[in-house]
Amino acid sequence: MQSKIWAITAYIFITLMTLITLFPFVYMAFVSFMTYEELISLKLIPSGFDLSNYKEVLGQASFVRYFLNTVYTATLSTLATLCTTILATFAFVKLNFPGKKILLMILVCLLMVPYEVLVFCNYLTIAQWGLMNTYTGLILPSTASVFYIFYLNSFLKMMSVTYYERARVVGASDLEFIVKILIPLSKPGICTVALLSFIDGWNSFLWPMLITNDSNMRLLSDGLSAFSMQTDRDFPLQMTATTITTIPIVIFYFIFRNQIISSVVNTGIKN
Amino acid sequence: MRKSLKAWFLLSPALIIIILFNLLPLARTVFLSFQSSSLNNSHFIGLENYITVLTDSRFHQAIYNTAIYALAVVPIGLIISLIIAAILYDFKKFQVVFEVIFFMPYIISTVAKGSIFRLLLNEDYGIINNILGWFNIMPINFLDDPEIALLTIIIFGIWSSLGFNIVILLSGLRNLNSQYYKMASVCGANKFQQFWLITLPQLLPIITFLLTVNCINSFRIYTEVYTIFNGKAGIGYSAITAVYYIYDKFYVVNRYGEGMAAAVILFMLILIFTIIQNLILRKLTRR
Repeated sequence: MQSKIWAITAYIFITLMTLITLFPFVYMAFVSFMTYEELISLKLIPSGFDLSNYKEVLGQASFVRYFLNTVYTATLSTLATLCTTILATFAFVKLNFPGKKILLMILVCLLMVPYEVLVFCNYLTIAQWGLMNTYTGLILPSTASVFYIFYLNSFLKMMSVTYYERARVVGASDLEFIVKILIPLSKPGICTVALLSFIDGWNSFLWPMLITNDSNMRLLSDGLSAFSMQTDRDFPLQMTATTITTIPIVIFYFIFRNQIISSVVNTGIKN
Repeated sequence: MRKSLKAWFLLSPALIIIILFNLLPLARTVFLSFQSSSLNNSHFIGLENYITVLTDSRFHQAIYNTAIYALAVVPIGLIISLIIAAILYDFKKFQVVFEVIFFMPYIISTVAKGSIFRLLLNEDYGIINNILGWFNIMPINFLDDPEIALLTIIIFGIWSSLGFNIVILLSGLRNLNSQYYKMASVCGANKFQQFWLITLPQLLPIITFLLTVNCINSFRIYTEVYTIFNGKAGIGYSAITAVYYIYDKFYVVNRYGEGMAAAVILFMLILIFTIIQNLILRKLTRR
Protein backbone atom coordinates (compact mmCIF):
# COMPACT_ATOMS: atom_id res chain seq x y z
CA MET A 1 0.00 0.00 0.00
CA GLN A 2 2.69 2.42 1.02
CA SER A 3 4.78 1.61 -2.02
CA LYS A 4 1.73 2.23 -4.22
CA ILE A 5 1.38 5.74 -2.80
CA TRP A 6 5.07 6.28 -3.49
CA ALA A 7 4.71 5.07 -7.06
CA ILE A 8 1.72 7.30 -7.73
CA THR A 9 3.46 10.34 -6.24
CA ALA A 10 6.49 9.56 -8.39
CA TYR A 11 4.38 9.33 -11.55
CA ILE A 12 2.62 12.60 -10.78
CA PHE A 13 5.94 14.32 -10.14
CA ILE A 14 7.50 13.04 -13.37
CA THR A 15 4.42 14.04 -15.36
CA LEU A 16 4.50 17.50 -13.84
CA MET A 17 8.22 17.93 -14.53
CA THR A 18 7.81 16.67 -18.10
CA LEU A 19 5.10 19.29 -18.59
CA ILE A 20 7.31 22.00 -17.14
CA THR A 21 10.15 20.94 -19.42
CA LEU A 22 8.17 20.67 -22.63
CA PHE A 23 5.43 23.26 -22.18
CA PRO A 24 7.60 26.33 -22.97
CA PHE A 25 8.52 24.89 -26.38
CA VAL A 26 4.99 23.75 -27.22
CA TYR A 27 3.64 27.13 -26.18
CA MET A 28 6.30 28.87 -28.27
CA ALA A 29 5.15 26.94 -31.34
CA PHE A 30 1.47 27.66 -30.58
CA VAL A 31 2.00 31.39 -30.05
CA SER A 32 3.78 31.58 -33.41
CA PHE A 33 0.39 30.90 -35.04
CA MET A 34 -1.51 33.41 -32.91
CA THR A 35 -2.51 37.00 -33.46
CA TYR A 36 -1.69 39.53 -30.76
CA GLU A 37 -5.35 39.57 -29.69
CA GLU A 38 -5.39 35.81 -29.26
CA LEU A 39 -2.24 35.97 -27.15
CA ILE A 40 -3.49 38.62 -24.74
CA SER A 41 -6.79 36.79 -24.30
CA LEU A 42 -4.56 34.05 -22.79
CA LYS A 43 -5.63 31.35 -25.21
CA LEU A 44 -3.44 28.28 -25.07
CA ILE A 45 -4.14 26.89 -28.50
CA PRO A 46 -4.31 29.04 -31.67
CA SER A 47 -7.57 29.09 -33.60
CA GLY A 48 -5.83 28.05 -36.78
CA PHE A 49 -2.42 27.39 -38.23
CA ASP A 50 -2.01 30.70 -39.97
CA LEU A 51 1.45 31.28 -41.41
CA SER A 52 1.23 35.06 -41.64
CA ASN A 53 3.55 35.57 -38.64
CA TYR A 54 6.20 33.53 -40.43
CA LYS A 55 5.85 35.63 -43.57
CA GLU A 56 6.16 38.79 -41.54
CA VAL A 57 9.22 37.66 -39.57
CA LEU A 58 11.03 36.44 -42.67
CA GLY A 59 10.16 39.72 -44.39
CA GLN A 60 11.48 41.83 -41.49
CA ALA A 61 14.70 40.00 -40.71
CA SER A 62 16.75 37.67 -42.87
CA PHE A 63 16.59 34.58 -40.68
CA VAL A 64 17.36 32.46 -43.74
CA ARG A 65 20.63 34.32 -44.04
CA TYR A 66 21.32 33.90 -40.29
CA PHE A 67 20.58 30.21 -40.66
CA LEU A 68 23.04 29.82 -43.54
CA ASN A 69 25.66 31.88 -41.66
CA THR A 70 25.22 29.63 -38.65
CA VAL A 71 25.45 26.40 -40.64
CA TYR A 72 28.54 27.72 -42.41
CA THR A 73 30.44 28.93 -39.34
CA ALA A 74 29.44 25.99 -37.12
CA THR A 75 30.45 23.46 -39.79
CA LEU A 76 33.75 25.13 -40.63
CA SER A 77 34.80 25.62 -37.02
CA THR A 78 33.87 22.00 -36.27
CA LEU A 79 35.92 20.69 -39.19
CA ALA A 80 38.88 22.90 -38.28
CA THR A 81 38.65 21.85 -34.63
CA LEU A 82 38.64 18.20 -35.69
CA CYS A 83 41.79 18.67 -37.81
CA THR A 84 43.78 20.60 -35.21
CA THR A 85 42.61 18.32 -32.40
CA ILE A 86 43.42 15.06 -34.20
CA LEU A 87 46.90 16.25 -35.23
CA ALA A 88 47.70 17.54 -31.75
CA THR A 89 46.37 14.42 -30.09
CA PHE A 90 48.45 12.24 -32.39
CA ALA A 91 51.57 14.19 -31.43
CA PHE A 92 50.77 13.96 -27.74
CA VAL A 93 49.87 10.29 -27.64
CA LYS A 94 52.26 8.74 -30.14
CA LEU A 95 55.35 10.93 -30.12
CA ASN A 96 57.78 11.77 -27.39
CA PHE A 97 59.47 15.12 -27.58
CA PRO A 98 61.28 17.43 -25.18
CA GLY A 99 58.95 19.91 -23.53
CA LYS A 100 55.91 17.65 -23.78
CA LYS A 101 55.29 17.55 -20.04
CA ILE A 102 55.61 21.31 -19.61
CA LEU A 103 53.36 21.92 -22.59
CA LEU A 104 50.69 19.62 -21.18
CA MET A 105 50.93 21.41 -17.86
CA ILE A 106 50.48 24.84 -19.46
CA LEU A 107 47.46 23.50 -21.34
CA VAL A 108 45.92 22.13 -18.13
CA CYS A 109 46.26 25.58 -16.59
CA LEU A 110 44.63 27.19 -19.64
CA LEU A 111 41.73 24.76 -19.23
CA MET A 112 40.84 26.54 -16.00
CA VAL A 113 40.48 29.99 -17.56
CA PRO A 114 36.82 30.76 -18.19
CA TYR A 115 35.87 31.67 -21.74
CA GLU A 116 34.23 34.89 -20.57
CA VAL A 117 37.56 36.20 -19.26
CA LEU A 118 39.21 35.75 -22.68
CA VAL A 119 36.44 36.71 -25.03
CA PHE A 120 36.80 40.49 -24.65
CA CYS A 121 40.52 40.58 -25.43
CA ASN A 122 39.90 38.23 -28.36
CA TYR A 123 37.44 40.80 -29.59
CA LEU A 124 40.19 43.45 -29.43
CA THR A 125 42.52 41.17 -31.41
CA ILE A 126 39.95 40.50 -34.13
CA ALA A 127 39.07 44.20 -34.30
CA GLN A 128 42.73 45.18 -34.65
CA TRP A 129 43.22 42.68 -37.43
CA GLY A 130 40.31 44.26 -39.27
CA LEU A 131 38.31 41.03 -39.17
CA MET A 132 35.09 42.46 -37.74
CA ASN A 133 32.01 41.31 -39.69
CA THR A 134 33.89 38.54 -41.48
CA TYR A 135 33.44 34.79 -41.36
CA THR A 136 37.13 34.45 -40.56
CA GLY A 137 36.64 36.58 -37.48
CA LEU A 138 33.64 34.52 -36.43
CA ILE A 139 35.36 31.17 -36.91
CA LEU A 140 39.05 31.69 -36.16
CA PRO A 141 39.10 31.63 -32.32
CA SER A 142 37.07 28.42 -32.22
CA THR A 143 39.28 26.38 -34.57
CA ALA A 144 41.20 24.72 -31.75
CA SER A 145 40.22 23.78 -28.26
CA VAL A 146 42.30 22.75 -25.27
CA PHE A 147 39.31 20.94 -23.84
CA TYR A 148 38.81 18.65 -26.87
CA ILE A 149 42.54 17.93 -27.13
CA PHE A 150 42.47 16.63 -23.57
CA TYR A 151 39.29 14.70 -24.17
CA LEU A 152 40.64 12.96 -27.28
CA ASN A 153 43.93 12.39 -25.48
CA SER A 154 42.27 10.50 -22.67
CA PHE A 155 40.26 8.59 -25.26
CA LEU A 156 43.29 7.54 -27.28
CA LYS A 157 45.50 6.69 -24.34
CA MET A 158 43.50 3.52 -23.95
CA MET A 159 44.45 2.55 -27.50
CA SER A 160 47.45 0.29 -27.56
CA VAL A 161 50.81 1.72 -28.68
CA THR A 162 51.66 -1.41 -30.62
CA TYR A 163 49.35 -0.34 -33.45
CA TYR A 164 51.61 2.58 -34.20
CA GLU A 165 54.80 0.50 -34.00
CA ARG A 166 53.37 -2.21 -36.21
CA ALA A 167 52.24 0.38 -38.74
CA ARG A 168 55.76 1.85 -38.77
CA VAL A 169 57.24 -1.58 -39.42
CA VAL A 170 54.93 -2.13 -42.35
CA GLY A 171 56.17 1.22 -43.63
CA ALA A 172 53.06 3.32 -43.27
CA SER A 173 53.58 7.06 -43.15
CA ASP A 174 52.16 9.08 -40.25
CA LEU A 175 49.40 10.46 -42.44
CA GLU A 176 48.41 6.96 -43.50
CA PHE A 177 48.46 5.89 -39.89
CA ILE A 178 46.23 8.79 -38.86
CA VAL A 179 43.73 8.27 -41.67
CA LYS A 180 43.66 4.47 -41.74
CA ILE A 181 44.11 3.51 -38.11
CA LEU A 182 43.84 6.40 -35.67
CA ILE A 183 40.65 7.98 -37.00
CA PRO A 184 38.69 4.71 -37.40
CA LEU A 185 39.76 3.54 -33.95
CA SER A 186 38.85 6.76 -32.21
CA LYS A 187 35.61 7.24 -34.10
CA PRO A 188 33.37 7.54 -30.99
CA GLY A 189 35.71 10.14 -29.50
CA ILE A 190 35.86 12.10 -32.74
CA CYS A 191 32.06 11.97 -33.04
CA THR A 192 31.80 13.40 -29.56
CA VAL A 193 34.12 16.29 -30.42
CA ALA A 194 32.26 16.93 -33.67
CA LEU A 195 28.78 16.91 -32.14
CA LEU A 196 29.64 19.04 -29.14
CA SER A 197 31.69 21.56 -31.09
CA PHE A 198 28.90 21.86 -33.67
CA ILE A 199 26.26 22.47 -30.99
CA ASP A 200 28.58 25.00 -29.33
CA GLY A 201 29.06 26.79 -32.62
CA TRP A 202 25.35 26.69 -33.33
CA ASN A 203 24.39 28.25 -30.00
CA SER A 204 27.25 30.73 -29.65
CA PHE A 205 25.97 34.15 -28.76
CA LEU A 206 28.44 36.45 -27.04
CA TRP A 207 31.14 36.06 -29.69
CA PRO A 208 29.02 36.83 -32.78
CA MET A 209 27.37 39.66 -30.88
CA LEU A 210 30.76 41.28 -30.22
CA ILE A 211 32.21 40.59 -33.65
CA THR A 212 29.32 41.58 -35.91
CA ASN A 213 27.41 44.81 -36.25
CA ASP A 214 26.44 44.25 -39.87
CA SER A 215 23.06 42.52 -39.77
CA ASN A 216 24.03 40.36 -42.77
CA MET A 217 26.73 38.67 -40.71
CA ARG A 218 24.54 37.72 -37.76
CA LEU A 219 24.11 34.16 -36.57
CA LEU A 220 20.81 32.72 -35.35
CA SER A 221 21.30 33.52 -31.65
CA ASP A 222 22.36 37.13 -31.94
CA GLY A 223 19.95 37.57 -34.86
CA LEU A 224 17.10 36.42 -32.62
CA SER A 225 18.29 38.65 -29.80
CA ALA A 226 18.45 41.70 -32.09
CA PHE A 227 15.02 40.89 -33.50
CA SER A 228 13.55 40.65 -29.99
CA MET A 229 14.89 44.07 -29.15
CA GLN A 230 13.46 45.60 -32.34
CA THR A 231 10.00 44.11 -31.84
CA ASP A 232 9.92 44.84 -28.08
CA ARG A 233 6.52 43.44 -27.03
CA ASP A 234 5.24 41.83 -30.19
CA PHE A 235 5.33 38.36 -28.68
CA PRO A 236 3.69 36.40 -31.53
CA LEU A 237 6.41 37.65 -33.89
CA GLN A 238 9.14 36.93 -31.33
CA MET A 239 7.88 33.41 -30.73
CA THR A 240 7.75 32.86 -34.50
CA ALA A 241 11.38 33.94 -34.77
CA THR A 242 12.28 31.75 -31.80
CA THR A 243 10.53 28.77 -33.40
CA ILE A 244 12.40 29.36 -36.65
CA THR A 245 15.74 29.38 -34.83
CA THR A 246 15.08 26.35 -32.63
CA ILE A 247 13.47 23.92 -35.08
CA PRO A 248 16.71 23.02 -36.93
CA ILE A 249 18.61 22.19 -33.73
CA VAL A 250 15.64 20.22 -32.32
CA ILE A 251 15.53 18.12 -35.49
CA PHE A 252 19.29 17.66 -35.25
CA TYR A 253 18.85 16.61 -31.63
CA PHE A 254 16.22 14.00 -32.38
CA ILE A 255 18.33 12.49 -35.16
CA PHE A 256 21.48 12.23 -33.02
CA ARG A 257 19.82 12.10 -29.59
CA ASN A 258 21.62 9.01 -28.29
CA GLN A 259 25.02 10.07 -29.58
CA ILE A 260 24.57 13.58 -28.18
CA ILE A 261 23.57 12.36 -24.72
CA SER A 262 26.41 9.86 -24.53
CA SER A 263 28.84 12.54 -25.77
CA VAL A 264 27.81 14.89 -22.99
CA VAL A 265 28.04 12.10 -20.42
CA ASN A 266 31.47 10.99 -21.65
CA THR A 267 33.06 14.42 -21.68
CA GLY A 268 31.37 15.18 -18.37
CA ILE A 269 32.61 12.10 -16.54
CA LYS A 270 36.10 12.26 -18.01
CA ASN A 271 36.69 15.63 -16.39
CA MET B 1 65.47 15.19 -33.25
CA ARG B 2 63.45 14.58 -36.37
CA LYS B 3 60.73 13.08 -34.24
CA SER B 4 60.41 16.10 -31.99
CA LEU B 5 60.42 18.44 -34.97
CA LYS B 6 57.57 16.42 -36.41
CA ALA B 7 55.68 16.58 -33.12
CA TRP B 8 55.90 20.37 -32.96
CA PHE B 9 54.90 20.57 -36.61
CA LEU B 10 51.77 18.51 -35.96
CA LEU B 11 51.00 20.49 -32.85
CA SER B 12 51.50 23.85 -34.51
CA PRO B 13 48.01 24.46 -35.94
CA ALA B 14 46.39 23.85 -32.56
CA LEU B 15 49.13 25.66 -30.64
CA ILE B 16 49.08 28.78 -32.80
CA ILE B 17 45.34 29.19 -32.26
CA ILE B 18 45.62 28.39 -28.55
CA ILE B 19 48.45 30.90 -28.10
CA LEU B 20 46.63 33.62 -30.03
CA PHE B 21 43.19 33.12 -28.52
CA ASN B 22 43.82 31.55 -25.11
CA LEU B 23 47.27 32.47 -23.83
CA LEU B 24 47.81 35.97 -25.22
CA PRO B 25 44.34 37.29 -24.32
CA LEU B 26 44.92 36.05 -20.78
CA ALA B 27 48.17 37.99 -20.59
CA ARG B 28 46.52 40.97 -22.23
CA THR B 29 43.64 40.90 -19.76
CA VAL B 30 46.07 41.13 -16.87
CA PHE B 31 48.11 43.80 -18.68
CA LEU B 32 45.10 45.97 -19.51
CA SER B 33 43.83 45.75 -15.94
CA PHE B 34 46.85 47.85 -14.87
CA GLN B 35 46.45 50.39 -17.68
CA SER B 36 44.34 53.51 -17.88
CA SER B 37 41.13 52.85 -19.72
CA SER B 38 41.52 54.53 -23.09
CA LEU B 39 43.12 52.26 -25.69
CA ASN B 40 45.00 54.83 -27.77
CA ASN B 41 46.79 56.67 -25.06
CA SER B 42 47.03 54.20 -22.23
CA HIS B 43 49.66 54.11 -19.54
CA PHE B 44 50.42 52.17 -16.40
CA ILE B 45 48.28 53.24 -13.46
CA GLY B 46 48.96 50.50 -10.94
CA LEU B 47 46.05 49.22 -8.93
CA GLU B 48 43.75 52.13 -9.67
CA ASN B 49 41.35 50.07 -11.81
CA TYR B 50 41.13 47.45 -9.10
CA ILE B 51 40.35 50.08 -6.48
CA THR B 52 37.68 51.64 -8.72
CA VAL B 53 36.05 48.27 -9.33
CA LEU B 54 36.29 47.03 -5.75
CA THR B 55 34.68 50.21 -4.41
CA ASP B 56 32.01 50.32 -7.10
CA SER B 57 28.62 49.54 -5.55
CA ARG B 58 27.45 48.12 -8.88
CA PHE B 59 30.29 45.60 -8.75
CA HIS B 60 29.23 44.64 -5.22
CA GLN B 61 25.72 44.15 -6.56
CA ALA B 62 27.08 42.02 -9.41
CA ILE B 63 29.11 39.76 -7.09
CA TYR B 64 26.22 39.54 -4.61
CA ASN B 65 23.76 38.58 -7.37
CA THR B 66 26.15 36.01 -8.82
CA ALA B 67 26.73 34.45 -5.39
CA ILE B 68 23.02 34.32 -4.51
CA TYR B 69 22.28 32.88 -7.94
CA ALA B 70 24.84 30.11 -7.43
CA LEU B 71 23.68 29.43 -3.86
CA ALA B 72 20.07 29.07 -4.99
CA VAL B 73 20.32 27.44 -8.40
CA VAL B 74 23.00 24.84 -7.70
CA PRO B 75 21.45 23.03 -4.69
CA ILE B 76 17.81 23.37 -5.78
CA GLY B 77 18.58 22.31 -9.35
CA LEU B 78 20.62 19.38 -8.12
CA ILE B 79 17.99 18.13 -5.66
CA ILE B 80 15.21 18.27 -8.25
CA SER B 81 17.45 16.52 -10.79
CA LEU B 82 18.36 13.86 -8.26
CA ILE B 83 14.71 13.11 -7.52
CA ILE B 84 13.88 12.94 -11.23
CA ALA B 85 16.90 10.74 -12.01
CA ALA B 86 16.12 8.38 -9.12
CA ILE B 87 12.51 7.96 -10.25
CA LEU B 88 13.49 7.56 -13.91
CA TYR B 89 16.02 4.92 -12.99
CA ASP B 90 13.15 2.76 -11.72
CA PHE B 91 11.30 3.18 -15.02
CA LYS B 92 12.46 0.25 -17.06
CA LYS B 93 10.39 0.88 -20.15
CA PHE B 94 10.34 4.59 -20.92
CA GLN B 95 13.55 5.60 -19.18
CA VAL B 96 15.32 6.60 -22.39
CA VAL B 97 12.28 8.46 -23.74
CA PHE B 98 12.13 10.61 -20.62
CA GLU B 99 15.89 11.08 -20.66
CA VAL B 100 15.65 12.46 -24.21
CA ILE B 101 12.79 14.77 -23.18
CA PHE B 102 14.49 16.14 -20.07
CA PHE B 103 17.77 16.70 -21.89
CA MET B 104 16.26 18.64 -24.78
CA PRO B 105 16.43 22.14 -23.23
CA TYR B 106 20.19 21.70 -22.83
CA ILE B 107 20.92 21.81 -26.56
CA ILE B 108 18.62 24.77 -27.29
CA SER B 109 20.32 28.15 -27.22
CA THR B 110 19.98 30.27 -24.08
CA VAL B 111 18.73 33.14 -26.24
CA ALA B 112 15.79 31.07 -27.50
CA LYS B 113 14.94 29.72 -24.04
CA GLY B 114 15.22 33.22 -22.59
CA SER B 115 12.87 34.66 -25.23
CA ILE B 116 10.24 32.06 -24.36
CA PHE B 117 10.59 32.77 -20.64
CA ARG B 118 10.29 36.50 -21.25
CA LEU B 119 6.79 35.77 -22.53
CA LEU B 120 5.92 33.13 -19.91
CA LEU B 121 6.93 35.49 -17.09
CA ASN B 122 5.17 38.57 -18.45
CA GLU B 123 3.12 40.34 -15.80
CA ASP B 124 -0.09 40.77 -17.80
CA TYR B 125 -0.34 37.87 -20.21
CA GLY B 126 2.34 35.44 -19.12
CA ILE B 127 1.10 31.93 -18.43
CA ILE B 128 2.98 31.69 -15.13
CA ASN B 129 1.14 34.61 -13.58
CA ASN B 130 -2.08 33.20 -14.97
CA ILE B 131 -1.46 29.90 -13.18
CA LEU B 132 -0.51 31.72 -9.97
CA GLY B 133 -3.87 33.50 -10.29
CA TRP B 134 -5.67 30.16 -9.88
CA PHE B 135 -4.21 30.06 -6.37
CA ASN B 136 -5.23 33.66 -5.73
CA ILE B 137 -1.68 34.94 -5.94
CA MET B 138 -1.43 38.48 -7.25
CA PRO B 139 0.48 38.82 -10.54
CA ILE B 140 4.22 39.05 -9.90
CA ASN B 141 6.12 41.60 -11.94
CA PHE B 142 8.99 39.26 -12.78
CA LEU B 143 10.55 41.46 -15.44
CA ASP B 144 10.20 45.07 -14.31
CA ASP B 145 10.57 44.93 -10.55
CA PRO B 146 14.15 45.39 -9.28
CA GLU B 147 13.30 43.46 -6.12
CA ILE B 148 12.25 40.37 -8.08
CA ALA B 149 14.68 40.48 -11.03
CA LEU B 150 17.18 38.15 -9.35
CA LEU B 151 14.44 35.64 -8.49
CA THR B 152 13.42 35.64 -12.16
CA ILE B 153 16.94 34.72 -13.25
CA ILE B 154 17.10 32.04 -10.55
CA ILE B 155 13.85 30.39 -11.71
CA PHE B 156 15.14 30.34 -15.28
CA GLY B 157 18.53 29.03 -14.08
CA ILE B 158 17.00 26.12 -12.17
CA TRP B 159 14.81 25.16 -15.11
CA SER B 160 17.79 25.28 -17.49
CA SER B 161 20.13 23.29 -15.24
CA LEU B 162 17.97 20.15 -14.95
CA GLY B 163 18.77 18.44 -18.28
CA PHE B 164 22.53 18.16 -17.84
CA ASN B 165 22.27 17.09 -14.19
CA ILE B 166 19.66 14.40 -14.89
CA VAL B 167 21.67 12.85 -17.71
CA ILE B 168 24.89 12.73 -15.68
CA LEU B 169 23.11 11.39 -12.57
CA LEU B 170 21.32 8.71 -14.60
CA SER B 171 24.62 7.52 -16.03
CA GLY B 172 25.96 7.39 -12.48
CA LEU B 173 22.96 5.37 -11.30
CA ARG B 174 23.40 2.89 -14.15
CA ASN B 175 26.96 2.21 -13.02
CA LEU B 176 26.07 1.51 -9.41
CA ASN B 177 26.88 -1.83 -7.87
CA SER B 178 23.58 -3.72 -7.88
CA GLN B 179 24.87 -6.26 -5.37
CA TYR B 180 24.06 -3.95 -2.47
CA TYR B 181 20.41 -3.67 -3.50
CA LYS B 182 19.86 -7.40 -3.49
CA MET B 183 21.27 -7.52 0.02
CA ALA B 184 19.18 -4.53 1.07
CA SER B 185 15.91 -6.00 -0.16
CA VAL B 186 16.76 -9.26 1.60
CA CYS B 187 17.20 -7.23 4.79
CA GLY B 188 13.83 -5.58 4.14
CA ALA B 189 14.97 -2.03 3.52
CA ASN B 190 12.33 0.08 1.76
CA LYS B 191 12.93 2.18 -1.34
CA PHE B 192 13.59 5.35 0.58
CA GLN B 193 16.08 3.70 2.95
CA GLN B 194 17.83 2.07 0.00
CA PHE B 195 18.18 5.43 -1.71
CA TRP B 196 19.44 7.20 1.40
CA LEU B 197 21.84 4.50 2.59
CA ILE B 198 23.10 2.89 -0.61
CA THR B 199 22.46 5.07 -3.66
CA LEU B 200 23.39 8.46 -2.27
CA PRO B 201 26.79 7.52 -0.78
CA GLN B 202 27.79 5.83 -4.02
CA LEU B 203 26.75 8.85 -6.06
CA LEU B 204 28.79 11.24 -3.93
CA PRO B 205 31.70 11.65 -6.41
CA ILE B 206 29.29 12.45 -9.24
CA ILE B 207 27.32 14.85 -7.07
CA THR B 208 30.53 16.64 -6.12
CA PHE B 209 31.47 16.86 -9.79
CA LEU B 210 28.06 18.33 -10.64
CA LEU B 211 28.33 20.81 -7.77
CA THR B 212 31.61 22.10 -9.19
CA VAL B 213 30.45 22.31 -12.80
CA ASN B 214 27.18 23.97 -11.82
CA CYS B 215 28.92 26.47 -9.55
CA ILE B 216 31.45 27.47 -12.19
CA ASN B 217 28.67 27.79 -14.76
CA SER B 218 26.74 29.97 -12.32
CA PHE B 219 29.72 32.29 -11.91
CA ARG B 220 29.70 32.73 -15.69
CA ILE B 221 26.07 33.60 -16.33
CA TYR B 222 25.51 36.48 -18.67
CA THR B 223 23.40 35.47 -21.68
CA GLU B 224 20.54 34.45 -19.36
CA VAL B 225 20.33 37.98 -17.94
CA TYR B 226 20.79 39.66 -21.31
CA THR B 227 17.95 37.74 -22.98
CA ILE B 228 15.43 37.59 -20.13
CA PHE B 229 15.56 41.36 -19.74
CA ASN B 230 15.89 41.93 -23.50
CA GLY B 231 19.33 43.54 -23.63
CA LYS B 232 19.42 45.00 -20.15
CA ALA B 233 20.42 43.72 -16.71
CA GLY B 234 16.94 44.32 -15.33
CA ILE B 235 15.56 47.69 -14.25
CA GLY B 236 18.44 49.84 -12.98
CA TYR B 237 20.97 46.99 -13.30
CA SER B 238 19.14 45.08 -10.54
CA ALA B 239 19.98 41.69 -12.07
CA ILE B 240 23.58 42.51 -13.00
CA THR B 241 26.04 39.60 -12.73
CA ALA B 242 29.83 39.48 -12.70
CA VAL B 243 30.23 38.74 -16.40
CA TYR B 244 27.52 41.26 -17.26
CA TYR B 245 29.50 43.87 -15.31
CA ILE B 246 32.64 43.08 -17.33
CA TYR B 247 30.65 43.24 -20.57
CA ASP B 248 29.09 46.55 -19.56
CA LYS B 249 32.42 48.15 -18.61
CA PHE B 250 34.21 46.82 -21.63
CA TYR B 251 31.73 46.96 -24.47
CA VAL B 252 29.12 49.51 -23.46
CA VAL B 253 31.04 52.25 -21.65
CA ASN B 254 34.46 51.33 -23.11
CA ARG B 255 36.35 51.38 -19.82
CA TYR B 256 38.65 48.53 -20.80
CA GLY B 257 40.97 48.75 -17.80
CA GLU B 258 38.17 48.52 -15.27
CA GLY B 259 36.44 45.75 -17.22
CA MET B 260 39.61 43.71 -17.30
CA ALA B 261 40.32 44.33 -13.62
CA ALA B 262 36.86 42.91 -12.90
CA ALA B 263 37.65 39.96 -15.18
CA VAL B 264 40.86 39.24 -13.26
CA ILE B 265 38.97 39.40 -9.95
CA LEU B 266 36.30 37.01 -11.27
CA PHE B 267 38.97 34.62 -12.53
CA MET B 268 40.69 34.68 -9.14
CA LEU B 269 37.41 33.92 -7.36
CA ILE B 270 36.73 30.97 -9.68
CA LEU B 271 40.31 29.73 -9.20
CA ILE B 272 40.09 29.88 -5.40
CA PHE B 273 36.76 28.11 -5.54
CA THR B 274 38.15 25.35 -7.78
CA ILE B 275 41.15 24.81 -5.49
CA ILE B 276 38.99 24.56 -2.36
CA GLN B 277 36.63 22.21 -4.13
CA ASN B 278 39.54 20.01 -5.26
CA LEU B 279 40.81 19.77 -1.69
CA ILE B 280 37.37 18.69 -0.51
CA LEU B 281 37.06 16.14 -3.30
CA ARG B 282 40.48 14.70 -2.47
CA LYS B 283 39.41 14.28 1.15
CA LEU B 284 36.18 12.59 0.10
CA THR B 285 37.83 10.10 -2.21
CA ARG B 286 40.59 9.26 0.25
CA ARG B 287 38.05 8.06 2.79
